[in-house]
Amino acid sequence: MKPLPDARAQHTDRVRRAHGAARWRAALLDGLLAWYILGGTVWFLRWWTHPPAVSGGAPEAFSPALHLGLLVGGVLLGLLWSSIRTSPGRMAVARTTPLLRGDAPKPAGGFWRTWHGRAVLYALALTLGLGLRITQVDLYALFSREGLAGARRIFEALAQPNLSIAGVVFDKMVETIFVALMATVAAVPVAFVLSFAAARNLSRHSAGAMALYSLVRFLANLTRSIEPVLWAIIFSVWVSFGPFGGMLALFVHSVASLIKLYSEQIESVDTGPIEAIEATGAGRLQTIWYAVVPQVVLPYLSYTIYRWDINVRMATIIGLVGGGGVGELLMQYFGLGRYNEVGTIVLFITAVVWTMDWLSAKVREAIA
Amino acid sequence: MQEDAPILEVKDLWKTYDNGVAALRGVSFTVRRGEFLGVIGLSGSGKSTLLRCINRLVEPSSGSIRFGGAEVTAMGGKDLSAARQRIGMVFQHFNLVKRKSVLTNVLTGRLGAVGTWRSIAGRFSPEERARAAELLGIVGLGDKGDVRASELSGGQQQRVAIARSLMQRPDLLLADEPVASLDPSTSHSVMRYLEQANQEFGVTILCNLHFLSLVRQYTTRVIALQAGQIVYEGSPQEIDEAWFRRIYGEEAKEVRIQ
Ligand SMILES: Nc1ncnc2c1ncn2[C@@H]1O[C@H](COP(=O)(O)OP(=O)(O)O)[C@@H](O)[C@H]1O
Ligand SMILES: [Mg+2]
Repeated sequence: MKPLPDARAQHTDRVRRAHGAARWRAALLDGLLAWYILGGTVWFLRWWTHPPAVSGGAPEAFSPALHLGLLVGGVLLGLLWSSIRTSPGRMAVARTTPLLRGDAPKPAGGFWRTWHGRAVLYALALTLGLGLRITQVDLYALFSREGLAGARRIFEALAQPNLSIAGVVFDKMVETIFVALMATVAAVPVAFVLSFAAARNLSRHSAGAMALYSLVRFLANLTRSIEPVLWAIIFSVWVSFGPFGGMLALFVHSVASLIKLYSEQIESVDTGPIEAIEATGAGRLQTIWYAVVPQVVLPYLSYTIYRWDINVRMATIIGLVGGGGVGELLMQYFGLGRYNEVGTIVLFITAVVWTMDWLSAKVREAIA
Repeated sequence: MQEDAPILEVKDLWKTYDNGVAALRGVSFTVRRGEFLGVIGLSGSGKSTLLRCINRLVEPSSGSIRFGGAEVTAMGGKDLSAARQRIGMVFQHFNLVKRKSVLTNVLTGRLGAVGTWRSIAGRFSPEERARAAELLGIVGLGDKGDVRASELSGGQQQRVAIARSLMQRPDLLLADEPVASLDPSTSHSVMRYLEQANQEFGVTILCNLHFLSLVRQYTTRVIALQAGQIVYEGSPQEIDEAWFRRIYGEEAKEVRIQ
């Protein structure tokens, strides 16, 4: 057996396959960009030709046929575009794929001088224009007489909190803090176990571990990309409104976030001890327990406290949609237009968030 | 196993890393029981790769490695664990578990032989603990058992690493530049413990070294690697100026460690 040519061939083979996959990713990127430029430009053209009925309002919505046309146009343009070596998608993919970085094209005079670069700049300008129009930026509303009068009304009320409800607010605040605490405490063991499966450096050794890695990563990313407020809405249907639903929402989101933070910590551990323990003939579990865990416990603790801190803030927000605690109370008073009471609650929340912030910084400092 | 049979036979060993670098190109050599074999060569010549192939921290691309008569490259799971238990390893950067006590670090040398759950619960037997303490005494750190590994100096950490490998009761000890990050006098103290392991406990040693003076003083035989191939094999005393230039390049000058 001639191992050397064999390994070389394997390498070139890998590069070739990477090129193949890169073409598709590039086509996707170029397609997205083409679709965006096309759609954005048409939006502005229509805003020009069919001005909105109300000044500052949005133009008439795109018809389904137009949407479809734009999508098909984007896909076709993207495919065409990505057949050019210096298209934005091709450039981006070539520069972010380690195996291909050496082959990334270098256009004369730089990317921004080519028409591809100009297209990207146009898309950025388009984004600014669309942003201003779509969010209906209206400085008049912000600084008009009526606007300022409203601002004064609410700030005056907030500045004169009604302290007679302090007792109720205190109780609800305690509820919020405990919702956050329970969610964090319950999330830690789950995330701890799963984080080892979600660490790339511990999964490379076998195809099965790699499959588990991908699965856990995928689920965690998916869960994390659903905001806690959405989870709260889901659980409010599942277990009905209240602190328990809020706790579950924060729990789910915390597990996913902690998996990410924890597993990144595992991926950055010193590999020396891992090799040393492996070399003694130790099994995988023993290696993880003796070489990895001691390196990550303190960072884990620090992340956990940080997470609790975040959860306290989120618990107040979740309360707004029915997740119990002080947020729910705030929503009630707000609905009644009782801004002095809202002021009391805001005061409490601010105090607690500051304290938590300070406390968690101190604790993390102490264990670092 | 016969006493005079070679403990390690490496035949036509190749290693090409995933990035296409051919670190070993057909390395063959034999180690007899009780030898203290030095491995020298420029940095990048493949010394670490060679040692790491022997206990399969690195997967060889092809070739044969026979340890005590058994083919290491064909081993998996339990066999590999059993072979690794009989092959100690010492690293340039010591690779101790820094947050654990010195004694626990020595005890980890036994992990392969201890059940998973018992070891995770930290329940090592009294005999194992006594042996770990004894080994710490041998490397001159008898009073440091309860200290965190991170609190020791480099030379002390390397001695703990030697104790950890001796905890395995190894037949073979792989040392990958064990003194490269230590100062000269500490280097000698660490090399002397390896020498003691070799002469008193009969552990065969394969040691990557940077300095020829250490090779001459401690090893019984030497192989030199250049670009993944063996270019010299013989007695350390016979490496003269001409050989030295061949191994380390024309511009090289020998530096001595006192
Ligand atoms: N994990 C690795 N991946 C890719 N190349 C490596 C790896 N480890 C070592 N190499 C390369 O293999 C060659 C030999 O390295 P090494 O065995 O560390 O030599 P030495 O120990 O003699 O300095 C070098 O060119 C090095 O860059
Ligand atoms: Mg090396």
